[in-house]
Order: sequence, then C-alpha cells, then structure tokens
Amino acid sequence: MKKIITLLCVLLLAAGMLFAAAEAETSAKMKVGMVTDAGTIDDKSFNQGTWEGVLMAAKDFDLDTKYLKPVGTTEADYLKEIGNLYDAGYKMMVTPGFKFETTIFKAQTKYPDAKFVLIDGSPHAGDYNVTVEKNTVSIFFAEHESGFMAGLATALQLKTGAVGFIGGMEIPPVQKFNWGFQQGVKYANTNYGTNVTMNPDNFIYQGTFSEVAAGQQLAASMYDRGVKAIFAAAGGVGVGAINEAKARATSGKNVWIIGVDVNQYADGIYSGDKSIILTSAMKRIDQAAYDMIKAELNGEFPGGQILTFNAKNNGVGIPDVNPNLTAAVQATAKEVFAKLQAGTIVVSDVKGNLIK
Amino acid sequence: MKKNSAFIIAISAVVLGLIAGSILMLSIGSNPLEGYSYLFKGGLMSIERIGNTIATAITLTLTGLSVAFAFKTGLFNIGAAGQMLMGGLCSTMVALTVTAPRPILLFLIILAGFTGGALWGAVPGLLKAKFNVHEVVATIMMNWIAYWVVYYVVPAYFKGMYLETESRLIPMSASLKAPWLDALFNGSYINIGIFIALIAVVIIQIILKKTTLGFELKAVGFNRDAAEYAGIKVNRNIVLSMIIAGSLAGLAGTTFYTGYASNMQIGVLPNQGFDGIAVALLGATEPWGVFASALFFGLLHSGKGFMNAMTRIPPEISDTIIATIIYFTATSVLIGRIWSFFNRRQKRKNDTKIINLDSGSDSDSEEEEK
Repeated sequence: MKKIITLLCVLLLAAGMLFAAAEAETSAKMKVGMVTDAGTIDDKSFNQGTWEGVLMAAKDFDLDTKYLKPVGTTEADYLKEIGNLYDAGYKMMVTPGFKFETTIFKAQTKYPDAKFVLIDGSPHAGDYNVTVEKNTVSIFFAEHESGFMAGLATALQLKTGAVGFIGGMEIPPVQKFNWGFQQGVKYANTNYGTNVTMNPDNFIYQGTFSEVAAGQQLAASMYDRGVKAIFAAAGGVGVGAINEAKARATSGKNVWIIGVDVNQYADGIYSGDKSIILTSAMKRIDQAAYDMIKAELNGEFPGGQILTFNAKNNGVGIPDVNPNLTAAVQATAKEVFAKLQAGTIVVSDVKGNLIK
Repeated sequence: MKKNSAFIIAISAVVLGLIAGSILMLSIGSNPLEGYSYLFKGGLMSIERIGNTIATAITLTLTGLSVAFAFKTGLFNIGAAGQMLMGGLCSTMVALTVTAPRPILLFLIILAGFTGGALWGAVPGLLKAKFNVHEVVATIMMNWIAYWVVYYVVPAYFKGMYLETESRLIPMSASLKAPWLDALFNGSYINIGIFIALIAVVIIQIILKKTTLGFELKAVGFNRDAAEYAGIKVNRNIVLSMIIAGSLAGLAGTTFYTGYASNMQIGVLPNQGFDGIAVALLGATEPWGVFASALFFGLLHSGKGFMNAMTRIPPEISDTIIATIIYFTATSVLIGRIWSFFNRRQKRKNDTKIINLDSGSDSDSEEEEK
C-alpha cells in the first residue's frame, strides 16, 4: 500500500521534472494587473471593457499584463487578489466597478508604492467620505450624456413611435442613463421635428442585473404594447431583452434594442450581420484604463484626483460605426455631439420632471 | 473502518487530485511543480497569508462539521449553504441593530447565528422524522428559501447607503475581527471565528465519542431499524442531528458574514456550503479530520490567486485545477473501495499461499469488513 503511494509521489515529481521548462524570465516591462468584478472577463461590460483597455495599452507600450478572478465578491476576496498581484510585482492595478470602493480605500494605504485606478467609483471606508490618496485615481463617467446621444440617435432614426427603458438596479449610473436618454429623445422631438413618445409604463427598473428571464418578459410586454425600441441598461436583464428582440426580429418583426456600456452590436446579431442593436450608449471604459496606464508611463499619473469622462474628452457617446443608423442620422448625431462638447447643449444629471 | 486506513485514503485522494491537477497544468503547457510551489507559497509564504488560509478554513471547518455530523446519523445535509445564510442573516441583523458591550454583543451575534442555522436545520429534520420526506430534497429547497429570504430582508431593512445588493457595513465593535489577531497575523482576515471552529470541533468530538446522545445518533446512522428495536427514539435523534448540523452551518455563516466579510450580499448562495460536503468526505466525517481537510481546502483557495499571478495559468484554468483536486478528494469513498479491493486480493493471494492444498471454493464469499 505504502509502495503505491510512494510510487505515485515519485511519478508526480518525475512528471514535474520532465516538463520543467526553465521559465526564468526577468523583464523590466511595466506590470499592469487587474482584478475582475463578480462576472467573467468576457462579460461584455465592465470587466471586458477594462481588460480591453489594458490589452490595448499592452500592445502599444509593451507591458506585462495579468488579470485575477477573486474567489468571491467580498472585500476580503478582492483585497487578497490585490495582495497577490502586488506580491507578484504588479505595481499598477486597474479595478472595475463601484464594488471596489471600500477595497481600494484599504489598498491605497496598505500598498503605498502601488498605483490604483478605480473605474466608476471612489474610495471610501463604507461611509462615503471619499479619500483619494496620491497613488489612486478615481474615474467616473457622464452616463447622462451617453444616454442623451443614444436617445437622440434613436429618435432621429425612428421618427415616430414609442420607446421604452429597462434598467437594472435603481442606482445613480443607471438612473443617469435613463434621464439622459429621455432628454435626448425630447431634444430630437423639439429640434428635429420627430414625434417619438415616451409612456411612463415603459420605463422600468427590474431591480437586479442578473435576471435574464425577467428581462425577456419585460421586453416582450413592452413590444406587445407597441414599443419600437428599448434602451436596456441592465446587465443580464438586458441580455434577456436582447434575446427577446432577436426572437422577434427573426420572425420578421421590426424591434430594436439600444445597448449600454460597450458597443453591443455584435451581441444583437440574429442572422448574417443583421443586428437588433440600433446603437449603444457607451462609456469608454477601455479608453479610461488605457489613458491612465499611458499617463503612468509618462510620469503624469493623476494621483489623488477624481476624473470624469464625458463628451468633452470623448469618454462617452455612441459608437463611431452604427450600421442600423442612416448616414443622415449619424451626421446629425455628430453635429449634436459637437455641441455637447462645446457646452452649448447641457444635459441634466438629475431627475427633474423626467420619468423615474 | 480503521482510523489508519481512513488517513491513507484521504492522503491518496489528495495525491490523486494533485496528479490530476498537474496533468491539467501540463496539458496547457505549464509546469506543475512551479504551479504547485506558487500555490503553496500563496497560502503559506507570509504570516498574513497563513492567517488568510486559516480564515478561509474557519468557515469550511464549520460547514464540513455540519455535513459530517448529519452523516453520522445517516443524513445527507446538502443544506449547509442555506443554513449558513440564515445563520449569517440572523447574526448580521443582531450586529446591525443591537447595541451592547462588546462581549455581550458578540455572544448575542454568535447565539443568533447558532439559532438561525438550527431552525433551518430543524425543518428538514422534522419533515424527515414525521413524514419521511427525504432530507436531500428538503434541504435543497431550504437553501433556496434562505436565498430568497436574504434577497428580501437585506435590501428591505438593512440596505447600504446606495448599494442595493449589500447590507450596511458591520461596525468594528460588532465584528468578529479582533485587533490583536489582526496585529498577530499582520492584517489578515483571520478572526475570532477560529476559536468558534476549534471549540465546535472539540464539542462535536466529545458528543460523538463520549456521550449517550452520540452513541444513539451513530446507532441510528448505522441501522435505523436496529436502533429502534434497541429502544432508541429514532425520530427524536434525526431531528436533533439536523438541528445540531444546522447550528454548525449557522455558525459558519456567523464567522463568514460578520468575521471574514463585513456585510451581507444578496443573490449569493455561499459555495462554502457545498465545499463542506467535500471537506466532510475528505475528513472521513471525523471532527479533527474535517478540520485538517478544511485547512487543506483553505490553502487551495487562498493560494490560487498567487499561483495565477506568478504563472501563465489563466484564472479559469486554475479554477478548473482547484475543482479537479476537490473532485478527486471528494471521491475518497471510491478510493476506499479500491484500497479494500487491493487488500482483499492481497489477502486472498496470501490465503491461497498458506492453504495451498485446500481446494479453492472460497471465491467470493468474503465480506467486506467494517
């Protein structure tokens, strides 16, 4: 019996030795790490966007990159992965999402010689007294401006009919998307003579970012009520809405979804290269990650600051290529975007008299 | 089954798991020796990392004990996850609402976790005793009830400032984290839950080995009918066993949500509940065995990230490697069978050698020894 165990051990060792490729590589490359949020690296949202930005930078500046996936979603799990990256020599770290706020608050003092980029959040101890140390930069996005552009483009393209909105949780980033979207539709109605309607019944927060089935049902009931296009800012719930739209489009119905966070065109493809994604209200998360890495390389890391990515610095907007929008609509959208950048159009980031 | 052989079975299960993991690493072109060395370094390289390994093992010890204890009475507790959630929820509720001096508050928090888990274990126990509802079905259902109860209660009454998916943070004064332990382990996540876990191991050991209750529970586990015939109240023991198992898992929730984590998140059925099954099986359902195997699992979980950071193994593959190791370790029952098969063959060979002349009609009448 013991013999067998010994044999197994020896085999294990031998196998290891045999394949022991000398992987002693010491490079002077800058090491940039990332810790993922709850989802996977290909979540079509925050994780993926951030990682793509890191990869973009790696391609341009020849970096060593690595992402780690925490065991769970507690602060302890996140902080452990940050420790792992730090111990492995990754002195610059990018973390996506507001769930990292308390984690980065602790990490920035625990690892004073590391640099942290916190996307869509700012470090605090759980009490929202924000403290951004010199080695951390906190990044926010002007979601309302992104939503505005998407609403405008949608209204210009549809000209008439009803639009709807499905949100995930009723939290500021999602609410701002919604409010901006409504202002965009209204702007088109007043300035470009479109007649797109918005009924409060069709503006719904589902309450989670994960209930795919619920998203599908909500989208189905909205389409049944005659809604032509739905702005889905809802993570997994949005995936359900996209699925419903795809099913209807396949059977010949004319329905649309407006994507969120990243260019979701590819997610909405139902046959050939036809997609039900009319356009997407984007936050250029990848750009943010890229810019911060570049700044660090140039010795210009904006530590201690809270940055906002908006229309002015091309941090938000709709994609450059929108196969489902006519050339005229895209041209008009560009004009309006220029006005947004110049500050002649101001989009409100509070509810006011808008729906929800 | 002899203690010695249980130990050998566990070790060979671990070795087999590690071999399977290294085959996986080889197949993606990584060096297993390097991978494992970083895995173990990640869990043990510094005092802080040792602390984190133990911190991970605390919860696993308690869920493992929960499963193991029910197992002794012949019950399969798949509901450790739900019991853990309810224990955690009750503890969190106390931690966020009650103000009392720290020792009293901590006692109340622990008591709440204990009670919450016990209640959640009692229901499947009662169903089994009264209506013979299979505990596997009942406990799985109870998992989801717990999941949705948390989903409702946390946002409705204990919502964080704007995070809808999490409760408020538990203040330091109501947390199982202790400054002196933090200092001792260099800021790791170890907390006084470790003492809860150790005390639980000792108490369960005593109950099983030294008390009439333990004897009765085990008797029910070995043979329900025989136990009943011997005058043991089978139904009472089934309910009691589930209550104790539930309370252990509830305590796991206490240590996890008010010690390791600092608040409760909704929409998560804790993995530790299911890992507890593997922990219990690897630990041969013996209290100290459970503790040892929880430490091993803790090592895997907390070393994984460092292995990832230092090698080219992508996180998804390393999850697979860990899962493979866990899978193989959980098959220790199967390995036990294989060992006894080898043993029997060996014995038979010896027998035939000794009684060489005796005409061999003793083929398969040998029965497995307990």
